Amino acid sequence: MTASKILLLGEGPQSEEVAHWLTDRGDEVVRFSETLENYSSADVVIEVIRDSTLRQLALAHVETMISEQIPIFVSGLTAYVAEVASWLKYPQRVSGFQPWLLTSMDVLEVIRPLQMEQEEQWLRATLFWQERGKQVEQVDDCPGMVFPRILAMVVNEASFALGEGVASAKDIDIAMKHGTNYPFGPLEWADRIGLDEIISVLQGMHVHLGEDAYRPAPLLQKLTYAKRFGQSSGRGFYSYLAQTDGQGAAH
Amino acid sequence: MEKAIIAVVGGGTMGNGIAEVFAVAGHSVYLYDVALEIREKALFDITDRLRRKSGRGKLSEPVEVILQRIRTVDTLDELHQAELVIEAVVERMDVKQQIFSVLDQICSQTAILATNTSSLSITETASVTKHPERVVGMHFFNPAPVMRLVEVVAGQFTEAFVVEKVVQIASEVGKLAIRVTDTPGFVVNRVARPFYLEALRIAGSQVASVQAIDRIIKSTGFKMGPFELQDLIGIDVNYAVTASVYESYFQESRFRPHGLQRSMVQSGNIGKKTGRGYYSYDRQ
Ligand SMILES: NC(=O)c1ccc[n+]([C@@H]2O[C@H](COP(=O)([O-])OP(=O)(O)OC[C@H]3O[C@@H](n4cnc5c(N)ncnc54)[C@H](O)[C@@H]3O)[C@@H](O)[C@H]2O)c1
Repeated sequence: MTASKILLLGEGPQSEEVAHWLTDRGDEVVRFSETLENYSSADVVIEVIRDSTLRQLALAHVETMISEQIPIFVSGLTAYVAEVASWLKYPQRVSGFQPWLLTSMDVLEVIRPLQMEQEEQWLRATLFWQERGKQVEQVDDCPGMVFPRILAMVVNEASFALGEGVASAKDIDIAMKHGTNYPFGPLEWADRIGLDEIISVLQGMHVHLGEDAYRPAPLLQKLTYAKRFGQSSGRGFYSYLAQTDGQGAAH
Repeated sequence: MEKAIIAVVGGGTMGNGIAEVFAVAGHSVYLYDVALEIREKALFDITDRLRRKSGRGKLSEPVEVILQRIRTVDTLDELHQAELVIEAVVERMDVKQQIFSVLDQICSQTAILATNTSSLSITETASVTKHPERVVGMHFFNPAPVMRLVEVVAGQFTEAFVVEKVVQIASEVGKLAIRVTDTPGFVVNRVARPFYLEALRIAGSQVASVQAIDRIIKSTGFKMGPFELQDLIGIDVNYAVTASVYESYFQESRFRPHGLQRSMVQSGNIGKKTGRGYYSYDRQ
């Protein structure tokens, strides 16, 4: 494998995980900042920005500074990768990937959008991940991909149940771990990945697939408005703040 | 403190598993079912499982001692001494209500009447009794001796101390008890729906294959993917649960069953038990 100089777009825990994973594999990671810098030496661009307007601005800005050959990997969490590619002048080098649990999953979901017509571009894109130890699983271009879509909907249902007072957060997590063998309870898992991440996947599906089934639970919306994103912000479904109450009070 | 006398009504898959759980924990258990063969089969199944456990050194007492605690009876009347009755008969409201109206009359005022129903309303079951405050859901998972979770379900009129008592008894026999309100699917069968349904929608819209979805999901820490799990549970059973939750929530779109499930059921390939479902299995 040849180490790359990677320009990483995005901030927050998700991009930290991506940066960490790349650095561990010997790549050099350069973070994107608003101040005008010269990124022309980067040979790969990876983007994990959630906000649609910001990602469009960042990608357009970066594209002016890199050659048209540089591959761009974008998150497939919240939009069609074909749409993200459409914002660029050279969309044929854009492919999608699934950034959640990048450090722990052997498998990586990847997307070949319609604009990536050349087989060679696609092989190069998948090779990038394979060389870094990932078993790639090609999925069709659809917001939420596979794992985030399923997990976000499980978390959403758990949030509806919690909001309706069906059971406590702790009991819901116990139920799913011991009644049906989930590796983690959905609410503790959401706290780790981030409620802001979970809700953006739901919103992406709600907007792009247009189905009522993807409507985010009211409780999930309120928690994210209140910036209770989970572990990253100290509070989510559980509290991770200085323990005054034993072991993390449930919502 | 004396261990509560338990009665189990229905000696099928769940009933005989539940009887085993309590006998192993030292409770006297009365086990009732309608026919002699069924009662004998229940005892046979329990004995078989206990022998195997004993062989693996998993029991602290001889099998015979545990078995002596279980008494099969051929009338409901003989359950009158029980302090906790757990009903695990067929999933039919009329049958359950019939049983609860009898139990309400023959059992002591202080006895707790529990149902192991997966999908029926506790409140509706309790409505035929004079004392709905002592009727509660006690939802074990299959296989009952193995799965640790018990959902303790409070109906509209269930007294809080009844719920707490059942939580306590369940904990004492080694279960993890959670408190749940009387809503369709309770927690597990409701929150698990999207695990299957989203996977079906993803496969149905050709976003990823059944095999790819299972590989991806297992890579996140699940022991089985959504399709392997449906094959194990039975695609028919999984489909029936989905349809029941969907109807119970007045056709809420999140729970809408998927055409792929129905088509699998129609084909007769409903999983491991038929040798074929989403995957093919060798049938010995
Ligand atoms: N099988 C599961 O996975 C599972 C899990 C949790 C809860 N449950 C619930 O447990 C209950 C029993 O399910 P099961 O899988 O053990 O079914 P089963 O068919 O194995 O057993 C039902 C038993 O009830 C007996 N029965 C029928 N009518 C009766 C009556 N009037 N009086 C006494 N006994 C009667 C039958 O003879 C049979 O032995 C149902 O309410 C079901 O929803 C099942």
